Amino acid sequence: MFALRPLVLIAAVFLTGCAAGNGGRSATSPVAPATPTRAVLDNGVVLIAREHRASDLVSLQLWLRVGGRDEMPAELGLSHYLEHMLFKGTPTRPPGSIDYLIEGLGGQSNAFTSYDFTHFDVMLPVEHVRTGLELLADIAVNASFPPEEIDRERKVVFEEMSLVEDDPEKYLLRQVYEQAYRPHPYGRPILGTPELVRDLTRERLAAYYGKHYVAPNMVIVVVGALTTDEIRPLVDATFGRLPKATSGRPAVAGASWPTTRRTADVRRSEQQAYLGLAWRTAATDSEDVFAVDLLTYILGDSPSSRLNQIVRDRDRLVSTIEAAYGAWAKGGLVTVTSRLDASNLDAAERSILEVIRRVRADGVTEAERQRAIVTAESSYAFDIETADGLAKSYGQAETTWELAKELRYLARLRQVTAAEIVAAARKYFGDDNYTRVRFVPGEGAR
Amino acid sequence: MIRVAIALLLVVLAVPTSAGAADVVRERFDNGMVVLVRENPLAPVVALSLLVKSGVRWEKADVAGISNFLTAVMVKGTMKRGGAEMAEAIAALGGKITASGDVDYSEIRASALARYWREMLVLTAELALDPKLAADEVDRERELLVGRVQRRRDNAPSRAFDEFYRALYSPHPYGLPTLGTPETIARIDRAALVARYRAFWQPERMALAVSGQVSAPEVIAEARRLFAGLLRGNASVDAPIPPPAVAVHRVVLEQPAQQAQIVVGGVAPALDHPDHAAVKVLGSVLGGGMGGRLFAELRDRRGLAYAANTFYEPVREPGALILYLGTAPENVTAAEAALVAEIQRVRTTLVSAEELRRAKGYLLGAYESDRRTNARQAWYLAFYELAGVGLDYPERFRKAVAAVTAEDVRRVANQYLSSLTAVVLRPR
Repeated sequence: MFALRPLVLIAAVFLTGCAAGNGGRSATSPVAPATPTRAVLDNGVVLIAREHRASDLVSLQLWLRVGGRDEMPAELGLSHYLEHMLFKGTPTRPPGSIDYLIEGLGGQSNAFTSYDFTHFDVMLPVEHVRTGLELLADIAVNASFPPEEIDRERKVVFEEMSLVEDDPEKYLLRQVYEQAYRPHPYGRPILGTPELVRDLTRERLAAYYGKHYVAPNMVIVVVGALTTDEIRPLVDATFGRLPKATSGRPAVAGASWPTTRRTADVRRSEQQAYLGLAWRTAATDSEDVFAVDLLTYILGDSPSSRLNQIVRDRDRLVSTIEAAYGAWAKGGLVTVTSRLDASNLDAAERSILEVIRRVRADGVTEAERQRAIVTAESSYAFDIETADGLAKSYGQAETTWELAKELRYLARLRQVTAAEIVAAARKYFGDDNYTRVRFVPGEGAR
Repeated sequence: MIRVAIALLLVVLAVPTSAGAADVVRERFDNGMVVLVRENPLAPVVALSLLVKSGVRWEKADVAGISNFLTAVMVKGTMKRGGAEMAEAIAALGGKITASGDVDYSEIRASALARYWREMLVLTAELALDPKLAADEVDRERELLVGRVQRRRDNAPSRAFDEFYRALYSPHPYGLPTLGTPETIARIDRAALVARYRAFWQPERMALAVSGQVSAPEVIAEARRLFAGLLRGNASVDAPIPPPAVAVHRVVLEQPAQQAQIVVGGVAPALDHPDHAAVKVLGSVLGGGMGGRLFAELRDRRGLAYAANTFYEPVREPGALILYLGTAPENVTAAEAALVAEIQRVRTTLVSAEELRRAKGYLLGAYESDRRTNARQAWYLAFYELAGVGLDYPERFRKAVAAVTAEDVRRVANQYLSSLTAVVLRPR
């Protein structure tokens, strides 16, 4: 997901997180290389490293090639539950001590789970880089899953389910994904179901961990105020010592293409209505991702985009409208979501479809194409402003598509022609192959 | 509108920067406006924050939300460009410009690719100095704002916080909702917005900060060209406000939601108060991160909450130290009792040296981490400027935090968490 740039919104929604400088300017321009080094250690761990001196911090990110898509039906929610449990302790680190350690060093940690990956990150003052790597390598294979911690975390996961349901924008996108992808694994709930979480056992959790948390499924990304030559020995001494294993990641088929409209109406307690439309588009292994990406910018990424200019500002049918492209390894989805008055639901849907029809019929202007490219370039530039932003783009690329493609992303985007954008619109965006989810205000809802 | 081209007659005084902020250039124009520039060559981006002293602090209850309403209409078009044209001009820079009203200030925020820094500054100046405030945009924005207010009321945590601020601060203006209410928004017309604009968007009330891959002298020169010709305003709108009365309040609300909300807290010192650092450390002991007591005890050990946090935002007038829990409806009573017990504990028992070390580490780490983007650097520079605390504030703050003792923490806990305001929102 969101291997590509415009996906800030979806990123926030599908990452189910468990947590809540001195400028560093030098008189000369920075001499650090502008690309990362990528190495595969003997045991299969992938190391991606880059020097970045925007602050005195280092970002350490562990990406696992396991996520919601790897779960068997009886395992739904296990990837996410593991994400919560990893910081709960190892044989040498009692429960609670890990957060305490990181925060006492002036660091922060976070974690999230998605369809294609699970992610853990620690940001620390750079002098503590070794402590951070030792910690991540330890929890990657030695998590001890104390039974009482598993029970405590159950309540937390239930609460997280409630929290998502309380947030109409998040919940709408989840519902859109479930409708658009079912029965593919991308259409299943990453948090699992209440029944599965209730019945989850330590044995099942430990077995899933043992199967997936193995060296070849790990990507360690280190970006910060130190050189790649300084990074490598630290990683060799930590992640390099993890046992060899085979990946055993199950093969997952690409999502099949819906040929008919899928619709669902949900009554909710909010006073305003929400409308979500979605079209299945290119997965990250398709060359179409670049054209779809630009098309998404043109449709609905900014106040100057077509959906904002027409549906929001000219027709005044919605309060907010936004298009986003979730590009994943096994499928892609462009969503158009809006908040609006319930009386405008039908008219807004017609207006959105008309905007898309116009793109299919008349194409896009050169000015629109240029603005979309500049917007993408800017989004990329702001991602690499911070060490953690850069590390995230590398880790995501490695686990959902390819690092090399990520590094060529902007150059490739600039080559996309207006004709290719229209071709993508005609290929993927039909009048009758979309998913629609509506949240309708109603008494006695939920 | 109010711009007069007398820039050449103004003498611009370059003020040397203070220690600890060596890479920031600060200039104050004769009309009182201050410009700050931080050169940061590491990424090809630029961000700016234009803050003006206009916010809830200067609002009356019958026009609550007017500062935010005004900024929302300001960015919809200028005397030179309509809304659509402006949106396209911004997008062409790879840029974003947004605006909002807060309690102590209103802000226009902009970001763009660094090579377009000059265009970004020009567009920002146009929005700030020549807004059209068109009647139809006022009407349109009113509709959108009512929608936002509804959405905010529908969102359980936002609703709980708004009710908390009202209970804690009223009749101090910090108790008013930043977005206003459907009634006040309906009442505010174009004439009121124009009058508000003329009284508040004056150069001596503004601070402009820019951070990114730019040259400070070039940015200062361009800012001078755009802003230094403005005439100083003559409105006097800064009457002192009596501080909020400290009292005990308890409010219980019901609304449809899955999760219950508990917000408890008290009036706390302002940004430049000698106790500020100690209260920040107290907040970090209680709710700073996952090692904080609320998270470690109430969430992790006892499973009484999903969200557990403290908030203590820097403001000019008295602040608020807020303890927050989001929890399951059946846990409300136990969670609130546990929260109050934690407050009692920190008021009576000294924190250990180890816990104090963690709390300070977390606090300063979070502060550094929040300051690592150009956008946040620009905001901090402009905010500290308006607050009048000086460019060396971050360094003084770090030192003040380092000097806080366990005894200080207990003392400020007793001083600021003895009379509590509590809001409990239960799902219906």
